[in-house]
Amino acid sequence: MTLLDISELTLDLPNGKRLLDGISLTVAEGETVGLVGESGSGKSLTARSVLGLLPSRATMGGSVQLLDQSVLDASRRQLLELRRTRASMIFQDPRAGINPMRTVGDHLTETMRLCEGRSAADARAVAISLMEAVRLPRPEEHLHQYPHELSGGMLQRVMIAGALTSSPRLLICDEPTTALDVTTQAEIIGVLAEQRASRGMGMLFITHDLNLAAAICDRVYVMSAGRVEEQGDARQVFRNPQAAYTKRLVAATPTIVVRDSSTPTDAGTDAAASTNPDAAVGASTGGAASASSTVAVPATEPMLSATGISKTYTRRGKEPVHAVIDASIEIPRGGALGVVGESGSGKSTFARMIVGLEQADAGDIRIAGRERTSVPSSRVERLEHARSVQMVFQDPYLSLDPRITAGKAIEDAMRLHRRLSTTDARERVLELLEQVGLGDVHAQARPRTLSGGQRQRVALARALAIEPDVLVMDEATSALDVSVQAQVLSLVEEIRRERGLTVLFISHDLAVVRRLCDETVVMKTGAIVERGRTIELLGNPQHPYTRLLIDSVPRPEWNLDAVAAEASELEDPVAQN
Amino acid sequence: MTTLRRVAGKLGALLLTLFLASLLVFFSRFLVPGDPVSFLLRGRKPSPEAVAQVTAQYGLDLPPWQQYLNWLTGVLQGDFGRSLQYRQDVSQVIGDRLPVTLGLVVMAGTMIAIVGLTAGIVASLNRGKVLDRAVLIGLTVLGAIPSFVGSIVLIAIFAVQLGWFPSFGSGEGFWDTIYHLVLPSIALAIVFVVLVGKVTRSSMVEQLGREHVEVATSRGLKRGTVIRRHVFRNSIGPILTVSGVLVAGLLVASSIVEAAFGLAGIGSLLVASVDRLDFPVVQAIVLLIVTAFVVVNAIIDVLEPWIDPRAAAGAGAR
Repeated sequence: MTLLDISELTLDLPNGKRLLDGISLTVAEGETVGLVGESGSGKSLTARSVLGLLPSRATMGGSVQLLDQSVLDASRRQLLELRRTRASMIFQDPRAGINPMRTVGDHLTETMRLCEGRSAADARAVAISLMEAVRLPRPEEHLHQYPHELSGGMLQRVMIAGALTSSPRLLICDEPTTALDVTTQAEIIGVLAEQRASRGMGMLFITHDLNLAAAICDRVYVMSAGRVEEQGDARQVFRNPQAAYTKRLVAATPTIVVRDSSTPTDAGTDAAASTNPDAAVGASTGGAASASSTVAVPATEPMLSATGISKTYTRRGKEPVHAVIDASIEIPRGGALGVVGESGSGKSTFARMIVGLEQADAGDIRIAGRERTSVPSSRVERLEHARSVQMVFQDPYLSLDPRITAGKAIEDAMRLHRRLSTTDARERVLELLEQVGLGDVHAQARPRTLSGGQRQRVALARALAIEPDVLVMDEATSALDVSVQAQVLSLVEEIRRERGLTVLFISHDLAVVRRLCDETVVMKTGAIVERGRTIELLGNPQHPYTRLLIDSVPRPEWNLDAVAAEASELEDPVAQN
Repeated sequence: MTTLRRVAGKLGALLLTLFLASLLVFFSRFLVPGDPVSFLLRGRKPSPEAVAQVTAQYGLDLPPWQQYLNWLTGVLQGDFGRSLQYRQDVSQVIGDRLPVTLGLVVMAGTMIAIVGLTAGIVASLNRGKVLDRAVLIGLTVLGAIPSFVGSIVLIAIFAVQLGWFPSFGSGEGFWDTIYHLVLPSIALAIVFVVLVGKVTRSSMVEQLGREHVEVATSRGLKRGTVIRRHVFRNSIGPILTVSGVLVAGLLVASSIVEAAFGLAGIGSLLVASVDRLDFPVVQAIVLLIVTAFVVVNAIIDVLEPWIDPRAAAGAGAR
């Protein structure tokens, strides 16, 4: 039975912009349908149209049928009825999606009390049973807790439980795991799949992640710029894309699957490694995996070495947090090291200490042989430290000053360090912009008018302007669309090859690290648990946590039960967390 | 437990603030030109003996810190000294006039809350539309009318032309007092409505854009319920903060309105006392205003965890 039938849906803004252009899709009972696309493709708008959550001044065309009810011309009362009984939606960020000033119990029981007129006790009982169904550990206690007291994964379970209170026939999930860690994502997907199966709901699953869609959906629709580019069996579309857009998307999506080094990406990395013999030197001091690669080259001084770094935050009246525990890394000149970990693993703190934004409690940091452990205090020290290491931050929307043009931002950074005539500076700025694939036009542009990828290129150019010994990239591509991410990654690869830049790449994403880094270390709750050549680490992980991380990454032949088993196994020996 | 510690901390900070304020209030007299003794003996040709006698009587011959200690000891026991002008205890002089000012401030505060909140909420719910713009313009115009102008206009229209309200005095008995205070309260409230109105609007607009509001809507809650439980509830914080700051402004501005309407409140008393160098009264009133301001804001601070549960977690968490 068809639950949802959207046909020829269009959405126009008053300014004449067409955001949706003839979308047609169906969802049947018990079916999981994926809606895949990059930002601005219209996938979220399409999903919101099902519940009548549309921009107030938009003009709609076509039709949206939810069961036997037309949504677009429903009265206000019908719309409420539809939201209360037929379809529910789970949103991307549970921390933003649940009112922070009300308790979890209030969120869960609100609609039952206010819309269905159930008694408080009755609603409470339902809420508790739903919390058990989504496997929240302590339902009674959670009822009285506020959202900030729960982790992101737990909150997303609350959101799911909240969506299920109305026993919907259709569950719409808008990027429900994008804000979560990869291991948490696997858990949440497990809960969603279980609930969908046991309730026989239809599910419309919106995601930017093709791998995830291929892993859990029966059918997918690939959207771009307000149109459906391709549709069909999920795995078929993924393995054998027909539309040009889908092909590009699949090609841009990084993967952790280790194949033979025949793919162009691997060839590029290997070429870089062979032209730059230093890059093959093992990054680890104790890792077994690097033993084989250290044979060829005599040990030279590493570009970056951090030894025994620890950082503990003490909080008044609470247990101290050991953010980083005795972490050591080494990167040879021209090498690239990936630091992989989930939120709370201490990877960002580690990066901040290397950049000199945070003082390490213990340990020693050397860059190009120079001591860089302490946080610089004077202007001279700061400048020196900055020449040693530069950082590219996660969010280019926040790391660039909105009032300063791109060219000026780069010029300012340069002039801090060197005396340059205006013409020389301009010339150099252009050179840098060209290097990151931008041009004269972009030098005059303020960040507002640039796209996310362009902004991150500007941030990269600004970091390179100082010609640092080491470039630290902290989740520098996480906020970007896959196709843009692919461009930025190949750009970094290219610069690395041409200039022998040394890169420390912090990321939660194993697939991205795989693209860029020769060596990888895995961090968990402040400690490095495994290190080695990236390909070997991915192909033959030694530590159970690394294995869990790898198996949690969605792929077409994903086995969620195995991941869950691994996760629970890991929890036993590691008492904390 | 932690709540208790928080409240204790606030209380400590409050006492410290009051102590510093008392220093400032007391010693500022020594910076002001004019000698209280010559005021006391005004109109006469004082003999040196008379001057010495008055000086000693009021304790003006002691070193300043000694005077401060004497004054502070008195204040702590509720004795603010004697008014130079009225030849009465300051507490008596103020006590007689306080109810009028309190009534005025409470009535004006209520009006500000009702009109300001309504205007802000209406504007935010119609953001970008004609009604929003009309409310904003209206608020700005009101905010540009000084209290004394407002007073005169109100008197001219409602007291003189229409004769609906009295224009002078504070009346006898509870209802009569309220009746007499209607025009003065409006005059006092006008300027401050804009503040509450605009803060309410911007705070509501910010919350309206939050994702949890969309989530609540998607679950089939009625628009009114969403606004009440999720938008307005979350907007209270900034509104309360502004209201706290407003208290001092209301007390100070009341002096103008009281003068315009011939009300015998502490505002008009403050003006008169400054004029006549009646420093014990001035000190007492200023201290009173400072205390009212600090106490109200301390209460708002203590309420914060109730308004925003995240505040209870403290700065150290997450």
